Amino acid sequence: MAGTGSPQSEPCRAGALREFLAAASGACTVEITALMPLRGGALQENWALDVRFSGGVLDGEQRLVVRRSAATGVAASLTRLQEFAVQKAAFAAGVTVAEPLFASEDPAIWGKPFLIMRRASGIAAPDRITGDRALDPALPGIAERLGHELALIHAIRPPRADLAFLVPYAENGPLRQIAGFRAYLDRHPTPRPVLEWGTRWLETHLPPPGEPVLCHHDFRTGNYMLDGGELAAILDWEFAGWGDPYEDIGWFCCKSWRFARLDREAGGIADRTPLYRGYESESGQAIDPNRVRFWELLASVRWAIIALQQTDRHMIGGEPDLDLALTGRRATECELELLMLLDAGGNCADA
Amino acid sequence: MRDLPSGPALLALARDILLNELTPLLPEERRPDALLVARCMAIAQREAEARETPEHHLRELYSADTDTDGLLARFARDLRIGAFENSPERELCARAILWRLTVAKLRQSNPEFLAANGVDQPGGVVGRARPCPSPASGKRSTPSHAAKSSS
Repeated sequence: MAGTGSPQSEPCRAGALREFLAAASGACTVEITALMPLRGGALQENWALDVRFSGGVLDGEQRLVVRRSAATGVAASLTRLQEFAVQKAAFAAGVTVAEPLFASEDPAIWGKPFLIMRRASGIAAPDRITGDRALDPALPGIAERLGHELALIHAIRPPRADLAFLVPYAENGPLRQIAGFRAYLDRHPTPRPVLEWGTRWLETHLPPPGEPVLCHHDFRTGNYMLDGGELAAILDWEFAGWGDPYEDIGWFCCKSWRFARLDREAGGIADRTPLYRGYESESGQAIDPNRVRFWELLASVRWAIIALQQTDRHMIGGEPDLDLALTGRRATECELELLMLLDAGGNCADA
Repeated sequence: MRDLPSGPALLALARDILLNELTPLLPEERRPDALLVARCMAIAQREAEARETPEHHLRELYSADTDTDGLLARFARDLRIGAFENSPERELCARAILWRLTVAKLRQSNPEFLAANGVDQPGGVVGRARPCPSPASGKRSTPSHAAKSSS
């Protein structure tokens, strides 16, 4: 399986995992009936875990997911225990998220930290969600529902004792992010003039600061599951943190996440109207398109940097993974988007 | 002189066989991996065929006495500090170069994305040819942190 994105890991010590599940759930006996790697999850390994519990809080057959830390990662991601705490907070706030059940950092169980949650049914593949015409009639409703979900996430606000590990927003606002982008670009072996130009624009067009909220920070098509045209779960909370609510809206609308439908500006599934309507009706706040634009531009720079960092995991970290090796090239797609947004006439001027 | 067929031609042939003859024989779950391999081969083929070094566009902004790698880093540094923002002509020239650099890279790594965005069309960015002020006779703009690039 080496080289093409499948999980690379040591074998699971099934006995240790069984013992952990029994102790955590209070079950008398635990039988693992299936443990299979799931595709996807560029930064973490996800495994489908089917378990038969006898007794305890999960008595019966359960379909679960184990999410393990990958061999290498990017600096901004949470630990599995932190991700577990964020997911619990979101679940308690009514967000449609797979119920988080247990987490452990004990390397004796399976080598690396992990969290275990219920397994949602459905599809997350973004090309399918944006490209399957049979789904089209349901997608505006999904966009509205996602706006509603995003507002629920943003209703979680600091201070929170259970989320005290999250970096304060003052240390992660746009100026800090810009400084982080530049620090990365200074270390990167190849100059990236478009990213420098886009970052300069951001620096000179900062919006007034907003009240910090819990941001998912990777809220996009590909990170939610649909089951029969209904939202089944919002996935991948590893980048969550305090931030400006417009960060998530801009990220969702950023062209990089429209996949098969670049013309549908809300995540490739709808125009922006239903997304904004869902958000506004739940939050009671009108969306300011200018603020969305700033964060959408920042999203293009941010994703470009993350894409380059992903390829660093291959180039520097040594992961023999074609997916990672290719991801850095997506940075140039983000650069094209920056040019299209900031220099709209540039591609035909003087022609 | 190299033997024929050329490296790019061999890659094109190998990719064709991979996609049309080998991939259908793979189990369903491994086909996406084969498509990734094919994509890598296509990029390698296009890069091997590319004749122009995109960085040569920078000669329009800077004098020719700096090596090309150094020019790209200098261009990036100048953009970070807004070095072209006090000179509309040089700002326009810098933007034109940004477009060309980006289009040239995407032609190799993802021409489909260019087409999907309607960018790489006749009369588009490649046809843009606004002359830049000569670096030899023109003054370099001074950085202005207060200046804002327009949008």
